[in-house]
Amino acid sequence: MDIGASGVYFFLFLALYFEVFLLISFFEKQPSKKTDARPSRYPTVSLIVPCYNEEKTLAATVESLLALDYPKEKLSVIIVDDGSTDGTPKIASLYANHPQVTSMRKENGGKYTALNMGIEATHAELVGCLDADSFVAPDALIEAVKKFEEHPDTSAVIPAMKVHGPRNMLELMQAVEYTFGIFVKKMFDNLATIYVIPGPFSIYRREVFKVAGMFRHAHNTEDMEMAFRMHEHGLRIRNAHTAFVYTTVPSSVRALVRQRTRWSQGFLQNSMDYKHMFFNSRFGHFGVMVLPVVTAAFVGALYMTAYALYTTISWAGGRVLDHYATQVPPTLALPRLSWFYVDTSTMTLLIILVMSMTLTAILLGRRIAGANFGIGSLLSYFLLYGFIAPLWLAKAFAGAALSKQSTWR
Amino acid sequence: MNIDWRKYALTLLITLAIFGTAYYVASRFDAARVSEIRATEEKIALDILSTETQYDLLGELDCETIAESPVLSSELNTLASQLSVAEGNLGDDNPQVVTLKKQYSLLEIKDYILLQKVSQKCGIKPVHVFYFYSNAGDCPDCDRAGDVLTYLRQQYPDLRVYSFDYNLDLSALETLIDLKGVRDELPAFIINNRKPIYGFRDLSEMEKLIPELKTLATTSASRR
Repeated sequence: MDIGASGVYFFLFLALYFEVFLLISFFEKQPSKKTDARPSRYPTVSLIVPCYNEEKTLAATVESLLALDYPKEKLSVIIVDDGSTDGTPKIASLYANHPQVTSMRKENGGKYTALNMGIEATHAELVGCLDADSFVAPDALIEAVKKFEEHPDTSAVIPAMKVHGPRNMLELMQAVEYTFGIFVKKMFDNLATIYVIPGPFSIYRREVFKVAGMFRHAHNTEDMEMAFRMHEHGLRIRNAHTAFVYTTVPSSVRALVRQRTRWSQGFLQNSMDYKHMFFNSRFGHFGVMVLPVVTAAFVGALYMTAYALYTTISWAGGRVLDHYATQVPPTLALPRLSWFYVDTSTMTLLIILVMSMTLTAILLGRRIAGANFGIGSLLSYFLLYGFIAPLWLAKAFAGAALSKQSTWR
Repeated sequence: MNIDWRKYALTLLITLAIFGTAYYVASRFDAARVSEIRATEEKIALDILSTETQYDLLGELDCETIAESPVLSSELNTLASQLSVAEGNLGDDNPQVVTLKKQYSLLEIKDYILLQKVSQKCGIKPVHVFYFYSNAGDCPDCDRAGDVLTYLRQQYPDLRVYSFDYNLDLSALETLIDLKGVRDELPAFIINNRKPIYGFRDLSEMEKLIPELKTLATTSASRR
């Protein structure tokens, strides 16, 4: 076996190990079904909407927050305009006289500064934020509050995210990816290892900011850094898998790669900042399992892509040179219809197994979230993801290596 | 924070079991391939033995029967491609692969001998090529030479190509190499029992070396 293939086996082993670990976690504690139960108490909640040039979606976002099934006197919305240059202030001014809405404006300073401004302006028990490109299900807040009530040690609750109205192949691919994410987040909740508190509708106890501090720039991934910091302070993050948030996703490869480069590079750079947590059992499964495995998955995905590219190019290049040297005309060989010629190598079987387990996780995520997508979406995911993801992984890797600042937009 | 290390151990056991199962299943597939190759070889051996016995019984061959069912079974071609798959999967130094290759080489030699008898008795003029290659890494052009011959065999189904691993430890093959005076300068070709030719030849050069190809039907002609 050549060294290249040994590396592939190593990463396949890691991938299988991680998937088995997650599936065991699933069978240990299966997610509960949604109930109509109400919380016994309604804590005060402030939802911050940081926005920068969101004139198209801001109104819908605010409306979805105001439509939340929650006592009005307990719920307030804080719009923080981070120095928008479009019509965002005009949209925000529409809510000037709304009793539940406060509107603030500041010079552009980045999302984390907008969030901090909103946090400082409220005394509510629970503070949430919602990116202006997302919409919440009416009962999402109730479901999140129930989670705080059910587990009083909870410091933050993250929702289950779904893609809002996916249409093209890229959006369908992301819809499946988010469903996979729903499964992974639930399992990370079981293991107390949630490492991102996504912008769309995550709810914090106010004390979090006193204990762990306010949001930081954190390589443009303040929500990830906050999660790392919470783990450092032993603060528990939980997932309310019945609290649904719908987010709009990039519809072009370019926009998607830019978004994911920011996320991935943020992960790498935050991991560097918190490297003392790696393999540190003081931080539980987060330090021992999730941080090392996610980092290894990053390297593994790049390695496998490089290996696949190298073998394909050297094979194709070899064939071209062969045809040139032999003068044998290229023939379009049809696959031979016999099991004898089917690739049944250990590596192929393992790749099929890893993909089957990924499919199982996606289907479990679909069951947990009650998501609905068809074969077309699944095909988009399995056909496209492997080709597009390496683009942002490579960009993020290069960016982190050169300590380049990723861009928001 | 408490970590349940047993879960890590259990996961490791399950993952190892999955890896082991994948390896086992893959090796069962390979074993099934080896069995299939062996069965094909046995069938060809039986065909050749049957023709030889027929010759012994009658003292001469029934040319009509031979013409209807060519000596070189098309299965010998299938066998060649199956062997190369097995070689790729299991490695060319795998003992089972080496045994299968030896049997294959013997069948080729027997087929060649029978072909000589048939051509003398029945007045047919077969076109055949002995092709000697090496897998030992000392013949960079062997794969390409193989490509040229494979293509020619596809174009001219009646062209008989007998390919031999020059380094195969098989006394009958060594005798053949001695008899034909083939040096270890590979790739080497013997066309219709003429003198050995050494070194890689591309398609047009090879076609010039085998003028008898013009007497053979091509696949495109036979399709018509």
